[in-house]
Amino acid sequence: MAEDRHDGDIMSIPGATDSIDAATFEQILEMDDDEEERDFSKSIVYDFFTQAENTFGKMDTSLEEKNLKTLSELGHFLKGSSATLGLTKVKDSCEKIQHYGQRKDETGTKDLASDDEALKKLAAAIKQAKTEFRDVEKVLRKFYHDDS
Amino acid sequence: MANSLGTQPALLPKSPPVSTVEIRPQRRNDTSLADEIFSSTLIPTIVLDASLVICQVSDSFLEVSGGCRRENVLGLDANDFFHQAMTFFHPLASARKAIHSAQETKRPYELEDVEIDGKAAWSVRAVPIYRDDSLRYIQMEVKDVTEEHQRLLELEERLSVNETFRVFVETVKDYAIFMLDPTGHVATWNAGAQVFKGYTREEILGKHFSIFYGPEDADTKPPRELHDALKDGRVEDEGWRYRKDGSRFWANVVITPVYRDNILVGFGKVTRDLTERRKTEEQLVAAYEESSKLKSEFLANMSHEIRTPMHGMLSALTLLLDTKLDEPQMELAKVIEESGEVLLHVINDILDYSKLASGSFSISADIICVPDICQSVFRVYEKGRKEQTLLEHHLDPRLPRAAEGDSFRYRQIIQNLMSNATKFTEEGYVKLNVSLQDEDDDSYLILTEVVDSGIGIPRGMTGALFNPFTQFDNSATKRYKGTGLGLSICKSLAELMGGEIGFRPNLDGRGSIFWFTARLKKVRQLKHIEAMQEKIESLAIDTPISPFEDIQTAAVGKRVLIAEDNQINQKVMVKMLKGLGFDSVDLAADGRAAVNMAVKEPPPYNIILMDINMPFLDGVTATKEIRSAMIQTPIVAMTANALKGQAESYIAKGMTDYISKPVDRKRLVKILTNALEQDAQRTQREPG
Repeated sequence: MAEDRHDGDIMSIPGATDSIDAATFEQILEMDDDEEERDFSKSIVYDFFTQAENTFGKMDTSLEEKNLKTLSELGHFLKGSSATLGLTKVKDSCEKIQHYGQRKDETGTKDLASDDEALKKLAAAIKQAKTEFRDVEKVLRKFYHDDS
Repeated sequence: MANSLGTQPALLPKSPPVSTVEIRPQRRNDTSLADEIFSSTLIPTIVLDASLVICQVSDSFLEVSGGCRRENVLGLDANDFFHQAMTFFHPLASARKAIHSAQETKRPYELEDVEIDGKAAWSVRAVPIYRDDSLRYIQMEVKDVTEEHQRLLELEERLSVNETFRVFVETVKDYAIFMLDPTGHVATWNAGAQVFKGYTREEILGKHFSIFYGPEDADTKPPRELHDALKDGRVEDEGWRYRKDGSRFWANVVITPVYRDNILVGFGKVTRDLTERRKTEEQLVAAYEESSKLKSEFLANMSHEIRTPMHGMLSALTLLLDTKLDEPQMELAKVIEESGEVLLHVINDILDYSKLASGSFSISADIICVPDICQSVFRVYEKGRKEQTLLEHHLDPRLPRAAEGDSFRYRQIIQNLMSNATKFTEEGYVKLNVSLQDEDDDSYLILTEVVDSGIGIPRGMTGALFNPFTQFDNSATKRYKGTGLGLSICKSLAELMGGEIGFRPNLDGRGSIFWFTARLKKVRQLKHIEAMQEKIESLAIDTPISPFEDIQTAAVGKRVLIAEDNQINQKVMVKMLKGLGFDSVDLAADGRAAVNMAVKEPPPYNIILMDINMPFLDGVTATKEIRSAMIQTPIVAMTANALKGQAESYIAKGMTDYISKPVDRKRLVKILTNALEQDAQRTQREPG
């Protein structure tokens, strides 16, 4: 267990620095009534895990159905919660999903040529979002001393 | 006569025997020995016999008495000779008396003879020579003692002067004059000192002179004054000095070190009582200030009285210009308008000037945005610029967007300088440069420069530039109008703002550079801190959370509605709001629900936080519905769409403010504080 002790600093966990915005996550941690138990932030983070799994599932279905509008909404939805937790990488990928779903490029400024191009980009972005989610999930579980 | 002198051999046999070899020729020549002595002595001498006939005279006497020949003198009766010769050799007048006295007393008698003009003095000595108690000869010497006499006179004079001075110093009553010893203890005391200071001589001698100083000076001033007196040769001071009874007087004090033979023997101290003079001076100054203030107040009142009807006239004129006027009427009305505006400007200048002069002018301390003011002034001149003139401005990006200052007066200075610059520049450019010159913990120092390529200022006029009523264009055909008060007002305004004003020629060939500085206090209140600082603060990780007491107090009893479809964000927002003291927080999972919850009478919420992208009804549409139901509750948009301009569009669509996601707690506090204030004002206006 020695390697799991981080003195309460999530940013000291490998992989944290580029996937988590310290100030935003810190703000969530400050809402904890008990710094040992961290009930509140833990529940939020674990809720997010569930929400992310569900949303990725819905994204997969929508991708199969080629439902761009739903994909955009799902992207926006997950962007909101990942932003709140300061999970920057996941948030950025979700924003891309939101834009591609609107048949725009990744910054949301230019139109894409076709639905197919959008779907292709969506598939890649969803895959990237999942990977980034897994990575940050590991960091967060480590932070909450969950080795499962 | 030689015989009579020669009859004195008795003196010689007493010589020691060893000298027998030389005695012989002397014995033979004893008369010639006496003759030789008396004829050659350097002291002018006459030898008389007992019957007072001159029997020998010295060459030196013949010389000083004016060139008598020996053969004419020898054998003369002394009294006859003296009588004759005293006309050209003055001391002989006294000779008779000396001889007579010597005969009487049988002792040498000496007296002094001073010529009437005082130029020469002689000592006349008569020595009677007796043998066997009878007078044989009288030897008389006359010696020039002019120098000794002179010295004596001087000495006497000096002694008498010293005495006079001593008496004078001791008795003078209008000055305290006394000596201190080298360590500053009182050594002498005069009547004036006693009158001024109230101490008697016995009381004060030996006391240190710091006794005359007040408690605020006693430790530091006396040693410093002695030190300075030694260094500079004297020291002068004006200040309060204290009497024995504790009362004080305004004194002028001069301390001079006194040396004798290069050794410091003490200090002379002269004190004058200037209390009366000081009182008179103060009265004069007060009278002057009073009259100057009255004058300024009069000017201020008059200008104010003139301004009111002037405004009425100009407004009436504006209305008149809107009516149907034919061309000549229009032209006349325009002339009135133009003259009226000039007159109003003049009156405003005089009003400002007199207020500044009477000191009744104050600078307000509002929160001002320097770049905004500069830009807005600049825009005015940009509109009215001459075709050949290029107008430019450069604003330092570090200029504070919020600082404490008087925006009207700051603007007034820039306007005045810009107006001068554009007035005097027919072609070329006018530039407005504003920069942050200095910054400390409490304030910013803003430097504002107006650079033009106009006619410039003639050399020699620059000194008087900021004096009131100065215009360097005083020609009969004045091309440029104005009161000449503008720059003097600007100077006072700049000084009131803790800054300076100045001029230098434009090095770019021709034209002027007018500049001024203003010190603006930094803003301390949380709600005014500019956006840039907020960002920096929110990025700072380790800053301790600032106290949120204000919002916690404001939150009591307030109801908040959060419209947000994402449960995670709902949870975080609720937790955050509860942490800030809001204990009544409702949730709506979509826009439709939010509208249903918000549109009630009376409006149930003090604040609504509205997510933009929501199912069924988005935040913007929901807001529109709420507003169309005449609910004015502040609505704050929450959005992760950080695109520029989008946020503004939410406000345009009826929202009160916006906050970007992820929601930063500090920013949320500010927005909630503002929104609650707004809500409070609204409910005051529309009770119920």
